[in-house]
Amino acid sequence: MFRTKTWAAGVALTAGLALALAGCSGDDGGDDTDTGTDTGTDAGTDDGGDSGELISVGFVAVGPEGGWRAANEKNIQDTFTEEAGFDLSYAPATNLDQASQIAAFTSFVDEGVDVILLSATEGSGWEDSLTRAQEAEIPVILIDRGIEPDDPSLYVTRIAPDNFVVAQGVAEWALSALPEGGNYFTLEGPAGVGVVNERNRGWDDVMGDHPEFVKVGAQTANWSTEEAKSVFETVLRANNNDIQIVFAQNDEMGLGAALAVEEAGLTPGEDVKIATIDGTKPALEALAAGRLSFVAEYNPLFGQTALEVVNTVLEGGTVDSYIIVPSGTFDSPEAAEEALPSREY
Amino acid sequence: MNAPSPTLSARLAELVRKPFFWGIVAILLLLVVNLLKDPTYLAIRVNPSNGNLAGNVLDILRASAPILMVATGMSLVIATAGIDLSVGSVMAVAGAVSMEYLQNAGAPSSLGAALVAIAMSIGLGALLGTFSGLLVAKVGLQPFITTLVMMLAGRGLAKVITSGQNTTATNEQFRWMANGYVLGFPVVFLLAVAIVLVVILVVRRSALGMMIVSIGINPRASRMAGIKPAGLLVTVYALSGALAAIAGMFAVSSVMTVDVSQTGYQLEMDAILAVVVGGGTLAGGRLSMGGAAVGALLIATLDKTVVFLGVPSSATPAFKATVILILFLLQADNVRNLLRSRRPRPASLTETVETKASVAA
Amino acid sequence: MTAPEPVVRMTGISIAFPGVKALDGVDFRLLPGEVHSLMGENGAGKSTLIKALTGVYKIDAGTIEVQGTQRRFHGTADAQAAGISTVYQEVNLCTNLTIGENVMLGHEVRGPFGINWQATYRGATQALTKLGLGHLDPRRPLSSLSIALQQLVAISRAMATDSRVLILDEPTSSLDAAEVEQLFGVIRRLRDEGVAILFVSHFLDQVYAISDRVTVLRNGQYQGEFLLRDLPRAKLIATMIGKDLETLASLESTRSERAAARTGEPLLSATGIGRKGSMEPTDVEVHRGEVVGFAGLLGSGRTELARLLYGADKADSGSIAIDGRKVALTSPVAGLDNRIAFSTENRRDEGIVADLTVRDNVILAVQAKRGWARPLSRREEDEIVGKYIAALNIRPANPNMLAGNLSGGNQQKVLLGRWLATEPELLILDEPTRGIDVGAKAEIQDSVATLAADGVAVVFISSELEEVVRISDRIVVLKDRAKIGEITNGPNVTAQQVVELIAAHGDGDLPDGDDPGDNHPDGPPGSPTDRLRDGANDGAPTTEGVPAA
Repeated sequence: MFRTKTWAAGVALTAGLALALAGCSGDDGGDDTDTGTDTGTDAGTDDGGDSGELISVGFVAVGPEGGWRAANEKNIQDTFTEEAGFDLSYAPATNLDQASQIAAFTSFVDEGVDVILLSATEGSGWEDSLTRAQEAEIPVILIDRGIEPDDPSLYVTRIAPDNFVVAQGVAEWALSALPEGGNYFTLEGPAGVGVVNERNRGWDDVMGDHPEFVKVGAQTANWSTEEAKSVFETVLRANNNDIQIVFAQNDEMGLGAALAVEEAGLTPGEDVKIATIDGTKPALEALAAGRLSFVAEYNPLFGQTALEVVNTVLEGGTVDSYIIVPSGTFDSPEAAEEALPSREY
Repeated sequence: MNAPSPTLSARLAELVRKPFFWGIVAILLLLVVNLLKDPTYLAIRVNPSNGNLAGNVLDILRASAPILMVATGMSLVIATAGIDLSVGSVMAVAGAVSMEYLQNAGAPSSLGAALVAIAMSIGLGALLGTFSGLLVAKVGLQPFITTLVMMLAGRGLAKVITSGQNTTATNEQFRWMANGYVLGFPVVFLLAVAIVLVVILVVRRSALGMMIVSIGINPRASRMAGIKPAGLLVTVYALSGALAAIAGMFAVSSVMTVDVSQTGYQLEMDAILAVVVGGGTLAGGRLSMGGAAVGALLIATLDKTVVFLGVPSSATPAFKATVILILFLLQADNVRNLLRSRRPRPASLTETVETKASVAA
Repeated sequence: MTAPEPVVRMTGISIAFPGVKALDGVDFRLLPGEVHSLMGENGAGKSTLIKALTGVYKIDAGTIEVQGTQRRFHGTADAQAAGISTVYQEVNLCTNLTIGENVMLGHEVRGPFGINWQATYRGATQALTKLGLGHLDPRRPLSSLSIALQQLVAISRAMATDSRVLILDEPTSSLDAAEVEQLFGVIRRLRDEGVAILFVSHFLDQVYAISDRVTVLRNGQYQGEFLLRDLPRAKLIATMIGKDLETLASLESTRSERAAARTGEPLLSATGIGRKGSMEPTDVEVHRGEVVGFAGLLGSGRTELARLLYGADKADSGSIAIDGRKVALTSPVAGLDNRIAFSTENRRDEGIVADLTVRDNVILAVQAKRGWARPLSRREEDEIVGKYIAALNIRPANPNMLAGNLSGGNQQKVLLGRWLATEPELLILDEPTRGIDVGAKAEIQDSVATLAADGVAVVFISSELEEVVRISDRIVVLKDRAKIGEITNGPNVTAQQVVELIAAHGDGDLPDGDDPGDNHPDGPPGSPTDRLRDGANDGAPTTEGVPAA
């Protein structure tokens, strides 16, 4: 309780500072969204009183988890700036612990922020918190991670690239890369996490109709390069290296699998093709070097989309309950090299 | 009970009484299970591309290296009737420091840079351990609480060091630690064994082992005999921190990436299990570094077996827990036998017992 | 006089533990409206008898009658149901609960909706008022009270069940004089209500101040029941240590011929050393080659003083000089560094490290002095261990055996070896011969004499007075945590003189109100006298010492 209080005090202080700063800040070169922001700010503060007040946004985030997450959260923080008319409080989870997220969420509700962005570390167990926000009339927007069971009445919208669709894309690439089929192995995230289930469903949706692809197994490597390497080295031995495709559910695990393949004396890309999801810089570098074969982007840069949604909602507009962020794919070293210079994460 | 017995059955009984006996049995059973799935499981081949030995057994040995390190440190701490929950986090700190340094060093791929990274990691690990030790020995905080706080603080520190990123670096010498081979054997296992042997030698050849155990068995009597527990405790926790730092480097050098939230995650549990499997008791007063090594090997074997058998991810924790539980039950039975033959008296009776103990003198 | 029917009558009680008879055919009774003391030295069987009466131990033989009905207790609950309540030495209450919750724990008043707290607290207040503690707010946390008041709350709790028998096990050990008087007020009040009270204390004066009757045990055997007003203190002490006065008078020093040569600087000289709550400021000197005996009953401060001399406990007053040089003995390490060695009376908790070998136990202190980084070589170890195994005749002579598996006497010899290996100039032996057989005892006594002849200063503590008198050159007599005198040993000194010194002290002329009362008819007027009765309540109001609300 003490922690929450000091923390809240800190937030209040920051807000005060931000207010002072906002008074000095001039205008900035505006594209469409910036204009939208400005009108949004005006609309939001007309009821509240003096103009120039920032919209307070509480971001219940995941925190350090990997390159993708870092890019995503940085993008959101860079988008919801004071210049754009926002006062964003960033609250990452402690060691991916849901309890710390719920505590942060609750204190945002108690402070009465204008809107909450939520990236849940775990899908289940959010009903009570979301109901409280609803009672306090604070709109909640889910960023990337969904909740389970999914109940769109509890939140305004979920903005995310679609894991199902992205995983389908990976599977379809596999069909074209190995027309005659082969054995595949899946490196999963931690058992029970929503993303893992969605990515598995997308992959299986395609592979279910293709008996020439044989699943030799699936194991969790907890999103970790080190564990993926250790797991896959054993998987290769258990199957006498007879695995043609690895479906790694994030870049880090794909890189670990590539190390294991190399260590077994095989050549990634030729003997074993590794496909990953996320599209971080190290993965694209590995793709350019031929160590990975396919990287499906799971676009983390949707701060702009989120900002537009926030403004629409605060103006009283309606949005779809699921906004899919478009994602690209990289299927060759050349494509990776092309994308690398502009890659931000 | 002390008389050496020549019969085979008596010798067998003696072996069965060794606490880590069941650990060895469990390792063998797991290997047998793997053999049933694949008759060539134990085969060791020469990798044609680089001439190194390769095989499941070598994989197990490599995977056991970090656990061996933390289990060795943990066995010393537990012998003093303490516990060190911070080892996993210290691993992450050490990994973070070495990766961050190698990424930003002037000549990142030189041997010098690797050595500096190693020295910095071990130094920081020992420093964190010393801090825990001082809190336990001088301030008198409970080891569990102290190291729990250090566990949280350590992971936080790792994140600060890398600014929350998973840092990657390139340095062939550093990478060699985990991936290199000497005479066909993995360097990381040879290093781990060498370090364990050195620690055992130091502890057994100096009076450290005896004094640690003495503190663990009877802290009051040890104090009355002039042992200064503070210095010993600080030494032990510092050693545990340094060994955890080495484990952290083993872990990150295999992939040259530190994952601040995953490196060493929950390895303190593996270490505690290894020590207990090896015959340590959380009540302290028993030191069996050899037993802890058996425990570490068992845990590595178990991890590898889970993957080899293809146990589904969701069932993995239950599978591991079941194996460990069965092992402990076997050991408990064993302990009960021991009790039957030794029969300690209830403490409350000792006053009276002592007055008449002359009967037996 | 017609004694009333006893509330408790224990007859022929025997309890055996593996290899030991802790109680051997002991008779014991408690009369209503009387305070009864149980006396005996260490290992006499006091706690075993109490535990038999409270159902902790099962008795092997004998009968227990409570209010005329024969009972068999299968646990403490049975004893409580029979109306026997106990308050132990360490107050076993929950300090984080309120006073009222503690008093009523286990018998809260229940209503239709669970516990009726209002009624429960009313009950607590009633129970407290009965003991004159009505001024305590039952809703305050117990931790806000002093230890003494917590003790009284513990008694309230024991009496909340309308017990007929109240057992107080060492209730005064951590109380100061005023607090003791407050406790005695409560005890008298309960006694006057007809409760039978068993009061266990090793403070002789307190026993005489509060008790009507005493039962003495020794080595698990019944030594007799006495009315305290008929029992001179010297006789009581003699009974406790198992010798009649005539025998004590004939126990003379065997060290008379050595008693002369005490000249020059003492090796150790302590001035006014004391420690609050355990030892009054005291002066002691020990010379090289001298055996100084500390004599006194259990709880007299003989052990406490010895611990201060070693540094096992830190003195908070006074100073110690060794060869005229002032030293700070703040820890055992400091003691060892100044070549002092201390063999504790508490062999199990502070002496032997049971799960280490004999070898490790013997070299432990030497090794500790050297530090862990400078281990003894195997050869040095063998030399030291071999030397003391042979010199002290440790059996079995196997250095690799676990020390815990040795007999008590041999464990004691291992400890002696540990301390001798440090080559001390001052060796303090606290009860080195307790609980060991006659042969080992003689061997240890011989070793002490030899050591002194070699110039080592020895402090020798024993509850066996005869032993102290026999081998000491000088005897420091202690009582109630203070030194009351010194006797230079000589041909005419006998154990009886020591007993009489202890008995006489405080009997009549008390030092600074340490004694809460005096039971002699010629006691000071106005003191709470007249508590000697044969069970009948003479109605004398005893209100002093009870705190005003």
